[in-house]
Amino acid sequence: MTAVASGATVRPAKRGWSFLAPTILPGFGTAFGFTLAYLCLIVLIPLGHMALRAADVGWDRFWAITLAPRVLHAFYVSFGCALAAALINAVFGLVVAWVLVRYRFPGRRLIDAMVDLPFALPTSVAGIALTAIYAPNGWIGALAKAAGFKIAFTPIGIVIALVFVGLPFIVRTVEPVLQDLDAEVEEAAASLGATRWQTFIKVLLPAILPALITGVALAFARGVGEYGSVIFIAGNIPAVSEIVPLLIVARLEQYDYAGATVIATAMMGVSFLMLLGINFLQRWTRSRHAR
Amino acid sequence: MAIEIRNVEKTFGAFTALGGVSLDVRSGELLALLGPSGSGKTTLLRIIAGLDHADAGEVSFDGQDTRDRAARDRKVGFVFQHYALFRHMTVFDNVAFGLRVKKKAERPAEMDIRRRVGQLLEMVQLSHLASRYPSQLSGGQRQRVALARALAIEPKVLLLDEPFGALDAKVRKDLRKWLRHLHDDMHITSIFVTHDQEEALELADRVVVMNHGQIIQVGTPAEVYDTPADSFVFDFLGGVNRLNGVIEGGVARLDGKAVRVDGEVGPNGPAVIYVRPHQVELDVAPGDGVPEGKWSARVSSLHAAGPVARLELDLAGRALEAQLSRDRLSDLALDVGSWCTVDFRHARVFPAKN
Ligand SMILES: Nc1ncnc2c1ncn2[C@@H]1O[C@H](COP(=O)(O)OP(=O)(O)O)[C@@H](O)[C@H]1O
Ligand SMILES: [Mg+2]
Repeated sequence: MTAVASGATVRPAKRGWSFLAPTILPGFGTAFGFTLAYLCLIVLIPLGHMALRAADVGWDRFWAITLAPRVLHAFYVSFGCALAAALINAVFGLVVAWVLVRYRFPGRRLIDAMVDLPFALPTSVAGIALTAIYAPNGWIGALAKAAGFKIAFTPIGIVIALVFVGLPFIVRTVEPVLQDLDAEVEEAAASLGATRWQTFIKVLLPAILPALITGVALAFARGVGEYGSVIFIAGNIPAVSEIVPLLIVARLEQYDYAGATVIATAMMGVSFLMLLGINFLQRWTRSRHAR
Repeated sequence: MAIEIRNVEKTFGAFTALGGVSLDVRSGELLALLGPSGSGKTTLLRIIAGLDHADAGEVSFDGQDTRDRAARDRKVGFVFQHYALFRHMTVFDNVAFGLRVKKKAERPAEMDIRRRVGQLLEMVQLSHLASRYPSQLSGGQRQRVALARALAIEPKVLLLDEPFGALDAKVRKDLRKWLRHLHDDMHITSIFVTHDQEEALELADRVVVMNHGQIIQVGTPAEVYDTPADSFVFDFLGGVNRLNGVIEGGVARLDGKAVRVDGEVGPNGPAVIYVRPHQVELDVAPGDGVPEGKWSARVSSLHAAGPVARLELDLAGRALEAQLSRDRLSDLALDVGSWCTVDFRHARVFPAKN
């Protein structure tokens, strides 16, 4: 035998998934039944009902409504802007979280509290505030105008509004993970010759990634569903800066209930697929990184 | 590589973690930093590695000042107390890390990296676990991954912070022997931190005893054990009898009788006499009272398993431990309750702390 005993405390192989694996918590049946009933009542029944109503219009009309250029463009704007905003937040939200966790400076508490403002504000307040500065007569808007482009009333404005509402999602999901990072791991990387950048890319980022993806998913989902802060700054110009939720409201105002329901159902479908995709991505990074 | 440490100071706020530490580490030696928790051992190790900056003083490697060399340029292998392994990397990738982050010009080809990591894993006897993640390993295995990872960059100095601290007794002993062999094979200048005197005395070429951010004594294990510099070292190394006596006019006295002591005798006043158990000499008690200059004691317990017998004695109300060979014990025919005379072959005296 070798000189060093391998005190073999190795994790047992993953147990097969079993629906009724023995658990120490009592009342599984009751709790599970309650969960199902609750989810049905709150989520499944209303959404299912809407989908059924949409099915009433028939397959051909469903697609005709959904694939109309104006509707397609609204989808493009809604999901595109939400994704862009979520990715922008991924970078800058990470920086904000990093600064809040790693540095001690006067005013840190204040900044910390400010991060949560987009959570707390009614979104219409945010919309009005943002429009006021980004409109061509607002002071940032005027600068942009002088430089030859517009922010408010274009998709850029929408992205800015969504960056605003999405920021806390990234910061607050990444923050605890950053706090838990072991400073010694970074020191180990440094003593092995890694630069700050290599340490960040190879050691820190993989540790943060699962949380970062969760934050991006939340910010993205929020962005897709956002209404209040967007409608002011977007200007809602059809085929330019019109988002899907607004289109639905517009249809309702024209008493086109069928159209509204169809678009809403399509939106739900796409959102669900995207969240599913993000979920898989998360599981994949977790299984790779957080063993 | 030789390391010279000159008057290094480090404070944290108002707290002095290192108060002017100077030390020469010889090239190729295995040095132990021994001291109680909080004595500044880790701080000193981190300053050598460049993970912390000294407030004053200097550290040089082979005569070259290291002030402007960042940790990553020092080629110092550091094994952290809690290993600090990269959790999301396999054992293999952990060990390969130091090679893969080298500058393009110095980075070995991927094939050479594989070969080198393979060798290192073989050396630490973990080849079969190369594709495991750290969370799937035992403490001793993680420790060896951390060691292999540090050795991968072919460091000039290896620093180990409490390398055996978190392991259970059996693994500890094995790993200790193994590290000594490894050091004998590789001859990298190595410094390890420990608060376990047995570990330091058994493993190191030289031992540095620290307390309150100061170096109290530097010497070979034998020197430190046989001639402790002061009462702290005596107390910390343990395995010693402490007998309350007095110093009067340059003579140490126990119950009025003079004790022959090595080294200095302090100023008049209460004092503590230190005697190691194997320096206690026992003799059969003569029928007619205690001989001149000796003491009388009664055996209160006796452990005679193994080659050495351990006796607990009662010397005028004080507990005294003595060690002697089994042969000597049977010559003396001592048993629990019997009386004997006591003398001290070597003893030291230090003024009592109030
Ligand atoms: N970063 C730090 N901030 C404040 N105090 C510290 C810091 N690092 C160490 N100390 C203090 O310095 C003293 C010496 O610490 P350390 O070198 O870790 O001791 P040892 O390793 O011998 O147990 C301890 O009392 C500890 O509380
Ligand atoms: Mg320590």
